[in-house]
Amino acid sequence: MRSKLLVGTLAVLFGLPFLLLALLAVGEGWRFPAALPPAFSLAAVRSLLGSGNDLLAGLGRSLLLAGTVAVVATAGGFGLARAIARSAWARHWEVASYLPYALPPVLLAVLIQPFIIRLHLSGSVGGVLLGLLLVALPFATLLLRSFWTQQATEYEQLARTLGCTPGQALRQVLLPLAWPLLRTALFQTFLLAWFDFGLTNVLSVGKVRTLTVQVFAYVGEANAPLAAVASLLLLLPPALLLRLNRAALLRNTP
Amino acid sequence: MLLTVAYLSKRFGDQPVLRDITCGLAAGQVLAVLGRSGGGKTTLLKILAGLETPDTGTVLLDGQDLLPVPPNERQMVYLYQEPLLFPHLTVFENVAFGLRIRQVGKNEIVQRVSKMLEELDLGAHAQKAPHQLSGGQRQRVSFGRALIIRPRLLLLDEPFGNLDAQTRADMQQLFLRVTRQHQITSLFVTHDSREALTVGTHFAYLDRGLLTSFPSVREFIQDPRTSIAAELTFWESIQRTAFQPDYET
Repeated sequence: MRSKLLVGTLAVLFGLPFLLLALLAVGEGWRFPAALPPAFSLAAVRSLLGSGNDLLAGLGRSLLLAGTVAVVATAGGFGLARAIARSAWARHWEVASYLPYALPPVLLAVLIQPFIIRLHLSGSVGGVLLGLLLVALPFATLLLRSFWTQQATEYEQLARTLGCTPGQALRQVLLPLAWPLLRTALFQTFLLAWFDFGLTNVLSVGKVRTLTVQVFAYVGEANAPLAAVASLLLLLPPALLLRLNRAALLRNTP
Repeated sequence: MLLTVAYLSKRFGDQPVLRDITCGLAAGQVLAVLGRSGGGKTTLLKILAGLETPDTGTVLLDGQDLLPVPPNERQMVYLYQEPLLFPHLTVFENVAFGLRIRQVGKNEIVQRVSKMLEELDLGAHAQKAPHQLSGGQRQRVSFGRALIIRPRLLLLDEPFGNLDAQTRADMQQLFLRVTRQHQITSLFVTHDSREALTVGTHFAYLDRGLLTSFPSVREFIQDPRTSIAAELTFWESIQRTAFQPDYET
């Protein structure tokens, strides 16, 4: 009974912001102290499809950036974690992987901006991508480091003696073994890039308007309906990913 | 000789791990290598499997220089203390693994794997996941996965070390049966002298990187480094004491 009450309370607490966002997106002339909007309209949602609206383009840009960061950081992190595990200075490299987290992302962006400008990537998707990878890659490396134990090496060596080439050992044995961790790394790095505002805002110099940047802009303009629609769009991919990963997240054993 | 090892040496940093190892193994023989932990047994097996490179020395298999050959082309399977079954595959697919890598036809895979599973008394467990098996069953699957590719040499690194005494004894008997039946040549590394005497047809002792091969089981038993003679004396004295008429009073 108590656990049901707890689950119910958590569900309400989790669901209320979504309900509020939905009401803000379709409500018209909603003023304090009214509990509900006096009228409803789909104008803000319809404006998504209107010409000149940057929201859908922002959604596409965000998906492209977060998707690329997730794939590149996870793949790179897997390889880097393996190299670190086999290095004679594994502990030092591991400590170095924490360095990007010594600074908040905005400060990191300020520090790397001169290099981004010299690379002629300032204000481009490529520049933002590079900046986000600087944060996501060490994160994925640290997360995937736990996979490269002595046992992973033994699995790989066994596969080799059973007839696998290095590529076959990777595809047929190591990747399936690492898949639960890889999926977590993909999910986490996607979210890291998807919700980033500070670093993206500094490196994009206002030119790369991701969905998160747009939400902040609408909030700044006090455009509640568009901010709400943009926020709902912002929450859609993570909600889908959560749904897809539900089985893995609820699993008790690895 | 099927396998000829000559003057094999290996150092890790300043530490010599193997020193001028020389030995030979004819087809169908089981060389039991007895030795303590850290004596270089694992390094020797890994060099033979192609997973480590020696600093000096030669390894010939049927007269062919094995050192430039990658592990996947050596047709030698290295079995660890842990069965290391692939958790994402069923028992059937674990045993079929080496055949699928070699792109053997589907019908042949079904036929050979089914036969192997029956032989190892695992027929009823074919569709189970590895975590549903007991320790002994897992080790049998591991054996089946190795044997099915008909290895030229089986390298065993204390494969029964993690099993309880009864399962270990059963596995030793199973090992004897299947290696004789399939005419498998193997190098069996163990720190247990009783296990060495049970599974071996030929015997060697490896300590601090030096390998001593014995011409007969008598020399192996009598060598004080193996401690077998001392153990026999101990058990004989126990037996004598236990059977004295006034012992129980």
